[in-house]
Amino acid sequence: MSTSAKIKRLDQRPMKDAIMSKNKFRFLGLTLDDFIKYFFQGNALIAIVVLALITISLFSSGIWFIPQNYQNLVIYRQAGLEYVDYLRQEIDDHTALTRYLSNLRLQQMQLLLKEGKTPEEAQAALTPLDTFITAYSDAATPLNDMLSEQTDIAAAIKDKHNSQQEELHGKEMLLKAGKTEEAAALQVEPVDFKTAVHPLLDMRDTYIETNGIFAETLSNLVFHPPKMVSRSLQPKMDRFRDLSRTYLIELPKYEDQIMNWDQFKPIPKYKALTSFLFGRQWLTASFWQDWYGIIPLLVGSLTVSFVALVIAIPFGVGAAIYINQIASPTEQNLIKPYIEFISAIPSVVLGFFGIAVLGQSMRWLSQQEWLAWVPGFPINERLNIFTAGALLALMAVPTIFTLTEDAINNVPRAFKEASYALGATRLQTILKIMIPASLSGIISAVLLGLGRVVGETMVVLLCAGGRIEIPDFMQGLGAFFQPVHTMTGIIAQEMGEVVQGSIHFHALFMVGIILFLLSLVINYLAQQVVHKYKISIG
Amino acid sequence: MHAPNNPFRKQVTANLRIEAGINWLLRLSAYAIVVAASIIFLTIFWKGSKALVQPTFPFINIGFLTESPETLHVLEKAGSPTISMGDRALREYEKDHDVSGYHKTSYVYAAGGIFPNIVGTVLLVIGSMTIALVLGIFSAVYLSEYSRQGPFIHMVRLAILNLAGVPSIVFGLFGFGMFVLAFNWGVSLLAGWFTLAFMVLPVIITASEESLRAVPRGFREGSLALGATQWQTIRQNVLPYALPGILTSSILGIARVAGETAPIMFTAAFVMRDEMPWQVKHFTDFFFQGVMALPYHIYVVSSKIPQNEYTEKVQYGTAFVFLVVVIGIALASVMARIKMRNRYKW
Repeated sequence: MSTSAKIKRLDQRPMKDAIMSKNKFRFLGLTLDDFIKYFFQGNALIAIVVLALITISLFSSGIWFIPQNYQNLVIYRQAGLEYVDYLRQEIDDHTALTRYLSNLRLQQMQLLLKEGKTPEEAQAALTPLDTFITAYSDAATPLNDMLSEQTDIAAAIKDKHNSQQEELHGKEMLLKAGKTEEAAALQVEPVDFKTAVHPLLDMRDTYIETNGIFAETLSNLVFHPPKMVSRSLQPKMDRFRDLSRTYLIELPKYEDQIMNWDQFKPIPKYKALTSFLFGRQWLTASFWQDWYGIIPLLVGSLTVSFVALVIAIPFGVGAAIYINQIASPTEQNLIKPYIEFISAIPSVVLGFFGIAVLGQSMRWLSQQEWLAWVPGFPINERLNIFTAGALLALMAVPTIFTLTEDAINNVPRAFKEASYALGATRLQTILKIMIPASLSGIISAVLLGLGRVVGETMVVLLCAGGRIEIPDFMQGLGAFFQPVHTMTGIIAQEMGEVVQGSIHFHALFMVGIILFLLSLVINYLAQQVVHKYKISIG
Repeated sequence: MHAPNNPFRKQVTANLRIEAGINWLLRLSAYAIVVAASIIFLTIFWKGSKALVQPTFPFINIGFLTESPETLHVLEKAGSPTISMGDRALREYEKDHDVSGYHKTSYVYAAGGIFPNIVGTVLLVIGSMTIALVLGIFSAVYLSEYSRQGPFIHMVRLAILNLAGVPSIVFGLFGFGMFVLAFNWGVSLLAGWFTLAFMVLPVIITASEESLRAVPRGFREGSLALGATQWQTIRQNVLPYALPGILTSSILGIARVAGETAPIMFTAAFVMRDEMPWQVKHFTDFFFQGVMALPYHIYVVSSKIPQNEYTEKVQYGTAFVFLVVVIGIALASVMARIKMRNRYKW
């Protein structure tokens, strides 16, 4: 068929038909174009799909933590570990008091040496205090002996239970493999917790007796504490006496706990989750009891982020105002790309810089005499909250800077011109007009900066110090020079080493869930701030 | 020579002084950021160049870029010069020298070079960017060309926004749980590719959409008016003009992919591997092998070995090479964007 013939045929058809028959291909009533459209639409779904996959994969692993942790808590009680920990608590509280005394002795010693006494003289002056401290600390020796005996018994019960669980698991594997005979030959004796803890419970009578003597010794000591050599330290000694008395009054509480301990008291189901969300200890691979409490990690993440934001906000916002409102065009063209460029520095390089350079210089700086007034100086650990926070600030600055600059840029010219026309100075215009008008943008910039900082891994893994403990905030600002561990850091550090499917493995996924939800909340807040508090510009 | 009676004379009042002071504070904050970043760049460039640059021909330490990492042995003996050499070199040396009286200290990965790490990073970047670009561009085409306002599009945009805020370690955890364990791919290139691709997806989609929207409406309307279908319009009148822009702004995504450590830590990265990626028995094994990567190597050498004069070389050297690569990519992106802006003007 020639081309002219085709055209002729087209011409002979009705007009409507000629237009509509452009595309004859149809499948299920859809044209090729529809298919192409749906193909692209399917691709647009990818962001939703990925987000859903992340949620599913995190939750499907993390959810197993809850039954495992429940089992963990049940064993803790039934194997008698909880019972032993009551006694441990009593002794720990006593040790804390002894430590208070030793600290006091150290202060007294330093004071005496400062006053010009020779070490021998100072030592002699401290003899009554030393005798007192020794007597105070030795009072707990019988209790300590009892504790170590009980610890051995309880740990043995738990070990036995664990090995029995492993044997059961082995038996299951054999059954699965079809080796029925071998499985039958493997007899597993379940641990009878009730009889196993009998030796522990039998110690109660001795405990009451020992505790009575302990209380008597302490009260005798506490009612005649030695006078401090320096009068300035006497209030601290008085405080010690008060603390000690409170401790003595509370002694029956420990006795009650121990006497009324119920091995088979059911544990509420919600404890499995709350002991994670509000647990103040993250203790893994210990011979005694593993605790998975997120609080130390959460506090670590938040303190590091706090330091980072405290540094990054003034610098980032200040620089944005300067570049947008005050700087000359040359400065603008040089500094703006440079600051945006900082975001390209890989975090692991910053972390390395922190280890190799910043930590060392911080320590050197903190040992300088003229900086001794700074709280927390001289620092003990070169890698601490501040080291990590300072580096993270540099990571947050580009985000905060860029978005703040955008926000200021979006304020209509008329606002500024009206302000100048009314006779305001440049500073007044910036402070009273430009910043309030762009405040929602600035806040959302800060929130997105926070999101970046909280989720950052390598810098905190390398530079935060890696000590899983809540910083001691009693020290005031000095607390920011203590090492911490963070949520991101713990995942990166421990994920590679844990056994798959273990409670520890699933606990790390739970941390991941918390981190994921935190990032979603921060993102949501940032969007809300922009939507809700945008002043009407028009 | 001032006229005291001039009423328009500028008066230096307290307010003006305060204003000047605050201006200076703002200026300082801008310059402080610049200085802080410069200190980091210069420290790493200065110390890293010692590992990479040498005073004799060919001026660049080729070995550092072409060899595998090795253990460094340091032999010390009172009264004789300290010997420090890599594992292989020491074995040769021991054949005809007596090293019995020496005190030996070893540092892993502190000798040799970082060639496998560079290769690994390049492979990771190529694979993940390919996946991310394909998915991202298709997704952006829908968002910019087909979408109408509605709940679906609202959901998609929300998802993209939220995906951009998910921490990289969560992507790592997801990749580990999904690809490494559930799909049973193991620690492999493939798992790393998908993890990294999903991580940069928001960057690519946003960048692609921007480039697509930059193509003037008239192009589309003209094409549609001539009777082309929507797909024909997109393929012939929108994509060709948007593609250069998409690619250049995606270079920034490369910097992100190359720079991230957390997502590949347990999905694709090995601490040490003797074979090179192409030394595989069967070609499918290529996708299921772990690789060494530059960012992970920096993490390993800065956290697992002590800091001293012997290890400094490899630590700063690796950081230097890595920084140069990433910054080179970022610079290229900036340059390309400037060039693009001059090329198409409509």
